[in-house]
Amino acid sequence: MSPAVSWRPLWLVLALAPLVVGAQREIDSRLGRHRATEEALFVWSGKAVRLMAPGLENLMADLYWLRTVQYFGGQRVFDRDKRFDLLEPLIEITTTLDPRFELAYRYGAIFLAEPRPNGAGQSEAALRLLEKGAREMPTSWKVRWDAGYFRHLFLDDPSGGARILLEAAQIDGAPYWLRTLAAAMKSKAPGERGFARVLWQQIHDEAEAAPIRRNARFHIDYIDSADRRDALQARVERFHATQARWPQTLGELAVEPKLLADVARVPFDYDANSGRVTISRRSPLWRLERWKAL
Amino acid sequence: MTAETTPALRIAGLAKTYRLGLTGSVTRMALAPLDLTVRRGEIFGYLGPNGSGKTTTLKILMGLVRADAGAVEVLGLDHADPAWRRRAGYLPEHPYFYDYLTPAEYLAYAGRLLGLARGEIAQRSEELLRLVGLSEARDVPMRRFSKGMVQRLGLAQALVNDPEIVFLDEPMSGLDPIGRHLVRNIILDLRERGKTVFFSTHILPDAETLCDRLALLRSGRLLKVGRLDEILAIDVSHFEVLASAGGPELKQAAVAAGANLTGEMGERWRMHVDEQHLPAVVAAVSAGGGRVLGVQPVRESLEEYFFREMGGNTARDPWALGD
Amino acid sequence: MGTGRLSRIVAVAANTHREAVRERVLYNLIFFAILMILSGLLLGQLSIRQDEKIIKDIGLAAMDVFGTLIGVFLGVSLMSKEIERRSLYPLLAKPLSRDEFLAGKFFGLSFTLFVNVVVMALGLYATLFVTGRSADLALLKAVLPIYQGLVLVVAIAVLFSTLTSSALAAVGTVCVVVAGRYSDVVRNMRDVVPDAPAWLIEGLYYAMPNFRNFDFKNRVVYGDPVSWGDLGFVTVYWLLYLALTLSVAAVAFRQRDFQ
Repeated sequence: MSPAVSWRPLWLVLALAPLVVGAQREIDSRLGRHRATEEALFVWSGKAVRLMAPGLENLMADLYWLRTVQYFGGQRVFDRDKRFDLLEPLIEITTTLDPRFELAYRYGAIFLAEPRPNGAGQSEAALRLLEKGAREMPTSWKVRWDAGYFRHLFLDDPSGGARILLEAAQIDGAPYWLRTLAAAMKSKAPGERGFARVLWQQIHDEAEAAPIRRNARFHIDYIDSADRRDALQARVERFHATQARWPQTLGELAVEPKLLADVARVPFDYDANSGRVTISRRSPLWRLERWKAL
Repeated sequence: MTAETTPALRIAGLAKTYRLGLTGSVTRMALAPLDLTVRRGEIFGYLGPNGSGKTTTLKILMGLVRADAGAVEVLGLDHADPAWRRRAGYLPEHPYFYDYLTPAEYLAYAGRLLGLARGEIAQRSEELLRLVGLSEARDVPMRRFSKGMVQRLGLAQALVNDPEIVFLDEPMSGLDPIGRHLVRNIILDLRERGKTVFFSTHILPDAETLCDRLALLRSGRLLKVGRLDEILAIDVSHFEVLASAGGPELKQAAVAAGANLTGEMGERWRMHVDEQHLPAVVAAVSAGGGRVLGVQPVRESLEEYFFREMGGNTARDPWALGD
Repeated sequence: MGTGRLSRIVAVAANTHREAVRERVLYNLIFFAILMILSGLLLGQLSIRQDEKIIKDIGLAAMDVFGTLIGVFLGVSLMSKEIERRSLYPLLAKPLSRDEFLAGKFFGLSFTLFVNVVVMALGLYATLFVTGRSADLALLKAVLPIYQGLVLVVAIAVLFSTLTSSALAAVGTVCVVVAGRYSDVVRNMRDVVPDAPAWLIEGLYYAMPNFRNFDFKNRVVYGDPVSWGDLGFVTVYWLLYLALTLSVAAVAFRQRDFQ
C-alpha cells in the first residue's frame, strides 16, 4: 500500500496554468476588438430587454449601466477608438429599464455632449436625454440643473439655460443658488470663461460619480490653463511693446517657471516669429483647445 | 507456488485518523496501528460495535479511504498493484446501485470494469442472479427493489469475477431470515470452494456460526484475534446445570447447596454451580423430587464475551439472575 | 493495460450517458429549449425584416442557456450522486482508478451534451427550413464554440463535485460560470473600482474560465467572418483550460476520503 496519496497531477496543473494565460492573451488580441461592440449591439432596444427579463428590469439596467461606465467612462476617457455611436443606445436601454436612474441621465448626457474624442459630441442628444429624465422624474432638480448648464456650455444658449435653471429652482428641495446662477447666466455672453469655470466648479463639487468629477476637473484645468496662457500672451505683448521684438524664448520673460506650463504641467508652445503662446499639442488639455478653437 | 503460501490478506501497521472541520484541526482516531493476517480459504469475521473501525478498515482496504500509515498485501500483491482487484470482490455497507439500472445491466457494467469478456459476463450474471434469488427480477429497474433485494444484488456483484477473496461489510444487514440463511450458505459455499471471506459484522450469532477465525475491534483498536474457542475461554471450574420440576423449596435447597440461579423457563431451572458444590446441588435436586436434565462446563457465548470486553455501561454480569 | 484502461473509461462514460438519458429532468430542459427555438418562429413573424436574425438569435441563445443549465445540472448531479449515494464504492473496489472514473464521468457527460447540442441544432435548422430560409452552415461556427463552452461547464461541475456536496457544488459551478460569462466586466473592474489592485483584477481575469471566448453568436448571426484561426485559438484555450480543470479535479479526487 502507498499510504501517501499521489500528487502527480499537480505538476500538470502548474504546467498548464501559464499556458492558459497565454492562450487567453492571444484570444484577447485577436477578438478583443469585437467584444465591446458585440455585446452592446446584442440588444438595441430597452423595451426588448424589458421583455426578456421580466421582474429583473432594475438588475438589467444596472448591468447595462456597468457596461456603459466601463466602455465610456473611467480610465478610458481618452481612449482612441471608442464607439460613441453605442453610447446613446446603451443609455437609452438603461433609462428605459430603470426610468428613475438619475445618474444614468446625467452621466450619459455629459459624455454625449462632450466633444470628441472625450465624448460623442452629440449635444442635442444629450439635451434630449436630460429632457426625458425631466419627464420621468418631475421632482429631480438635478437633471434640470444639468440641462440648464449644458444649454449654456455646449449649445451657447445662456437665456435658454437660465430659463431651465429657474424651472429647476422651483422644485422642492432645490438649492437657492440655482436662482443666483440663473440670473448670472442670463447676463453672460456665450462662452464666457469665468462663468463657465463657476459652472464646472459647481458640477465638480456636486458630482456623485468619479468620471463626471474628472471630466469637470478637466474643464476647470483647461480654463485655468487658458487663463494662464492669456496672461503669458499679455506679457509677451508687453515685451514686444517695450523691446520692439518678440522674445526669443518664454524664458526671457522672467516669470515664475510654474506659469510657463499649463495646469497639466506641459510647457506652453511659443512661436518666436509670431509671438503666439498656445497650449501644447502634447498636453492632454489640447483636446479642449482644439474644440474651442473650432 | 507463492500464491499458495502467501496469506490472503496481510495488514501491517495500518492507521487512520480523520481530520474534521474546515481546518482539519479536529481529529478523530479511526484506526490505531493494526496488524492482521487472514489465511487463504478461511472465513474471517471482523467484529466490533458500531463505530469501532470495521468499515474504515474495509474502506482502506478497498481504496475508498486513504490510510495515514501502514502496508497491505492482498493475495500476495502490494495494495497499490491493481492486479489483485481483478481477483477480489467487495460488498459495501448499505450498498446502493443505480436506480435506473436493472440487475442484469449492473452486473454487465461491473463485469466490464473487471475486464471480463461479454460471454463470460452473461453466463456469470445468469448464475449469480439465480444464486441470490433475483432471476425473476433480472430486468426490473432497481428503483423498485426492496432493501433486501439490493443487498442480494450487492452480493452478486461482489462475486461476478469469481473472486479468490471476498470482502463483505455487514452482509446480513437489511435481510430477512430467509435472506440471512441464503447469505450464510453462500459464504459457506465460498469456503468450500477454497475462497477466502473477510466479513465485518456486529451480529454476534452470525460470526459465531460462520467464522473460522475472528478479530475483535473496539474504538479502532484490535482487542483479540484468533479462533472462536481460543477467544471464548472454556471455564472448567464452573458448570451449568439444567433441572426440571420441583417447588420453591427445591429452589431454596439448591441455592443452599451452592447453586446460582441464572434462569427459569416454566418448569425448568438453569443454574451455575462451582465444581466443589456440584454433587451437593445434584443431590439436593434429586432429593427434592426434581430431575437433572444436563450438566456441562460453562462456555461463554460470544455475546457475553463481547459485553465483558466492551465494558462500560453496557456491561452485564453473565452470572447474575434475570436483568 | 492501455486497452483495459480505455475500456473502463468507456464503460463509465457509457453508464453515465445511460443515466443522463434515463433522467427525466433532462427531457424537460431539452423540451423547453426546442420550444424556445420554435418560438423564434412566432417572434420572427412579429418583427418585419428581422425574422431570420431573430430565429437565429433565439435558437443560439436557447442552445447556450439551456445547454448551460443542462451542463450544470447533469455535471453536478451525476457526479455527486455517485459519492453521496455511495454507488461509487463498489466500482472503486474494482480495478478502476479514481482518475479513470473521473475521466469516464467527464466523457460521458460531454457525449450527452453533444447529443443535446445536435438535437437543438437540428431544431434550429428545422425552424429555418420551415420558414423557407436556407440552412446556413456558417451557423455551425457559432454552435461549435457553444458546445465547447458547455463541455467546460461540465468540467467545472465535475471539479466542484469532487470538492464538496452537491448543493455547494451547484452553487459554486453557477457562480464560476456566471463570473466567466462576465469576464470582461471583471477585467474592466478598475473603471468601477479604481482602487482595486491591478494584480488582483488581472489574476481573477486569467483564473476565471473565459466564457466570452466561446461566444461567436453575434458575429455569426450578422454574417461577420469568423476565421478558423480564431476558432483554433479558442479551441487551444478550451483544451488547455479543460486539462487544467480536470487535473485540479484529479488532485482533489485522489485526496478525497469517502467516509
